[in-house]
Amino acid sequence: MALLPQFDPPAYLTDLDHVKDGRRQWDAFLDYCFTWAIDAQRGAARGQDGGAGEVQYFNPKTYDPGSTVLAQPIVWNAFPKTLLLRFGRERALAEADTLWPYYPFDGFHGGYDSQRPGDALKAANTKVWTRPLDEYCEWRVERDAGTGLIRRVTFTSEPPEYWTALFGGEVVLDTDVRFRFEGNPKYATELYRELTGSPVQEDDLRVREPFGDFKRGDYNPYNKWNTTHGIVHLNCPPNSIGAEVRLGGDATVLRQRRDGAPVLSPDELICCARYGGGNRNSDPTIGASVNALARLGAMITLVNPIGLYIDDLDLTGWWLPDGIAPQDCVRVVRGQPGQVERLVVEVPAETGRCVSDILIGGAPVRWGGEIAECITVKLVGGAADLGKVANGAATCIGQACVLPSDSRLLRVAPADGNLPLGLQAAFNEPRPAGGAVPAWSPGVRAHRAAKLTGAA
Amino acid sequence: MDDALVEPAEAGPLRGAPAEPLLELDDIQGLVAPGFLKPHQALVHIRFPEDRQGLGAVRALFAALVSRGALSTGAETLKDRRDHRLYVSGQLDARDRAPLVALAFTAQGLRAFTPAAGQLKSPAFQGGLPSRSALLGDPVADDDPGAAANWVVGASGQELDALLVVAGDHRATVRALAQDMAGQLAALGAQVDIQRGDVRDDQRGHEHFGFDDGVSQPGMRGLASDAPGDFVTDRYVDPSEVPDSWLYGYPGQDLIWPGEFILGYPVSGPDPLIPGPVLPCPSWARNGSFLVYRRLRQDVAAFWQTMRAEAERLRKTPGFESLTDEDLAARLVGRWASGAPLARAPLKDDPDLGADAFANNDFRLDSDTPARTGASGDYPLAKADPVGLVCPVGAHIRKVNVRDGASDMGGAVATQARRLLRVGVPFGESLADRYGDSGPDPLEGDRGLLFLSIQASIEDQFEFLQARWMNNPARPRGPGGHDMIVGQNAAAADGVRRCHLFGAQLQSAETVAEVQFVVPTGGGYFFVPSLRALREVITPLDEGVQNAAGA
Repeated sequence: MALLPQFDPPAYLTDLDHVKDGRRQWDAFLDYCFTWAIDAQRGAARGQDGGAGEVQYFNPKTYDPGSTVLAQPIVWNAFPKTLLLRFGRERALAEADTLWPYYPFDGFHGGYDSQRPGDALKAANTKVWTRPLDEYCEWRVERDAGTGLIRRVTFTSEPPEYWTALFGGEVVLDTDVRFRFEGNPKYATELYRELTGSPVQEDDLRVREPFGDFKRGDYNPYNKWNTTHGIVHLNCPPNSIGAEVRLGGDATVLRQRRDGAPVLSPDELICCARYGGGNRNSDPTIGASVNALARLGAMITLVNPIGLYIDDLDLTGWWLPDGIAPQDCVRVVRGQPGQVERLVVEVPAETGRCVSDILIGGAPVRWGGEIAECITVKLVGGAADLGKVANGAATCIGQACVLPSDSRLLRVAPADGNLPLGLQAAFNEPRPAGGAVPAWSPGVRAHRAAKLTGAA
Repeated sequence: MDDALVEPAEAGPLRGAPAEPLLELDDIQGLVAPGFLKPHQALVHIRFPEDRQGLGAVRALFAALVSRGALSTGAETLKDRRDHRLYVSGQLDARDRAPLVALAFTAQGLRAFTPAAGQLKSPAFQGGLPSRSALLGDPVADDDPGAAANWVVGASGQELDALLVVAGDHRATVRALAQDMAGQLAALGAQVDIQRGDVRDDQRGHEHFGFDDGVSQPGMRGLASDAPGDFVTDRYVDPSEVPDSWLYGYPGQDLIWPGEFILGYPVSGPDPLIPGPVLPCPSWARNGSFLVYRRLRQDVAAFWQTMRAEAERLRKTPGFESLTDEDLAARLVGRWASGAPLARAPLKDDPDLGADAFANNDFRLDSDTPARTGASGDYPLAKADPVGLVCPVGAHIRKVNVRDGASDMGGAVATQARRLLRVGVPFGESLADRYGDSGPDPLEGDRGLLFLSIQASIEDQFEFLQARWMNNPARPRGPGGHDMIVGQNAAAADGVRRCHLFGAQLQSAETVAEVQFVVPTGGGYFFVPSLRALREVITPLDEGVQNAAGA
């Protein structure tokens, strides 16, 4: 094999050609992300219970595997499972089409709830908005002001860092882990105008009042053309490419419980290793897929061009009146098949129909989320050198827990602390109390005996 | 429901195991729990008379069936199953067990009897199977026999109102009872016909392509009584193997929280040992469930001819030089014909393993499967196969159950919440020559499977599995492909199904199918009400009672 010469932009997009040193900076940024993610694994590697103590995550620019890299597409559904679990499908669909106030996303006892009086007050006072869509695919619904019918739904999977690279500004990966892009604000503003069809001004895209990690004058991913007035790229706080590179690394660490039992369940693993949101479609499957390869002793990476992609929009069961073909209502705006970054669902204007006329499974589309349910998002991992590394497992740094009132929603507490009040530990099976006589019914005993002796 | 959770035992090895709900088996129809698993079935298709008098008479007949105990309760069905096991093990003399009977309604049938039908918030149920057929990837061309307009039962505009399921150990008694019931209904002006289904005489338990069917059936959590250890699904893992003995019925048979199958009980959560919440439903719908009925025609000759041609083509591909049609078919199913899983028998069938319920389902996919105490055979243990090097990711058994792995819907709980209880049976005589080379087929291909599944949500379980996992080449995991066995060609962008395979030395190839092996030819979406709902809401002649239920 050969070393990767340079990280390409997501979906091989060419915008960075319009930014001085743009491609080199993007390459340097991903290089930096890998360095950060790999360095973070060294501590975990030292904490392994025996084994080689090696980091199983590699930067394809600096590590040349001895075997072919086996590409592993990791896919997940675009509609947020977190919303489904918290609100049920009907309300989840409605919430998904709204904006939420920007603030830390998930607490121990639940996040934002628009129907909770205290949260409504927060919403009334907020100036920064975000989409509650934490599956690395976000959308915006445009409705006819008079009828409320859906005219257009625009989906994006472009990471915010890419747009910071285009405009210029700082990306904060972690405390004291920052990367500054020089950018080309004029070009980025032109691209905003093209994508939103609106008179976007350069200053609209800058941070005016500092908030969070964002400095005055830098690119503001939460600007109005990417929130209240349009959609250009991902802006839900967990949705970033840096987070994915880090998650990929964190998930390579083999884990075990305090009693030495290996942690294998995807749901338990994500809490044990604290590498993402346990209630999402995406993070548990990304982490578990990577960890399964790591357990095979493989070296793991992400495959160039690293990106978060809309992989597929499944049109099965879609129907429109007047013989309109569903595929004529879907337009890839940025990216390419299998690596779509921006996609628009809109019925051709000349038909006089609109998105609300689309039936899926016989039911008309009422929310953007009903289309998102048909969308698959993708990240491509890579495994090489299977069987090369024989690492031991590190103990958990997180403890999974649930609210007894709804044990479907996972929370994570530090493994070395007490559980927050009102939470119940999960994946924490007590040992049996002893005793030798199974409480089987006579019928079971007979059947088991017959099976074991071949009588049945 | 918390007050209904019962500790399985105060002492002994089950102490500390999760408390499970006491299932109201005197109220739940036996088709739902524990399920009719009988070799002979007769499905009585019913369309109600249009006149008010006839409809009232049918309602009275149903009320009489309920009041005289002609519908089988869960308790009766469980006793029947346990008696059968005692009989098989020689501990009970042979006796004539009467057929089991269940009654279910489509939305239009239920609406004819009660306005409460509208309270069931299931778009699939309310719309009916034909309206969802395209979503399932079924053919839509006007002249295609698989299109809903052309089905032989439950076609668009000809939807059924109700279904009686008669199931038993003896073909003759099942048919006689079904005939009797059909006759009574016909005499009242209902349109009825009977679809018979029987296990294959030449290969009991195998579907028509030749594979042992239902090996991966999950178990339902829950207790039949408050007696210690009186589980609805028997537990066979050595009690010392905690937590596996608390997770499985037979080794590897997931125990699923009953709310995934019956309304009004806890559903699954990420920790399989902690019950999820009880999801809301109308009070009268508690102890009821949804039944999916699909009459699936299986084109046996097309399947095996394709396997033969594809194996021949793939043998010219590096890494696949010795591939036979049976090898290829096994990879596409994920099991050999005997039911032996590829995960434990990668190279050839092992009939002993296939027949061994203590081993044939005992495998993981993403991690190595550990040795088990008191294992009943000396079979190889399954090795981790997350990429599908042994058992393709697109294999049927991986498409419908990712087991210990994650999927596009998140952690392992996502697959637990999609499981179905399958209670169907084949129909039609076996094809003597599976390749169809030896002459005309006397049935002209009309053989297949009466697919019957029990689930709490048609959308989230049956439809999800068919439309989002089996028909989709990228889901639940990649690199996968379509479910080549049950997936529908119409759902593929170019009408061709494909599945990714690994051969020797990590060589990879793709197998393709341009013909459809499984063609839907009818069915319906049904609600299987509790016996109390039948008595108090659906069949009472006093309309005041119905109105109260509708409040």
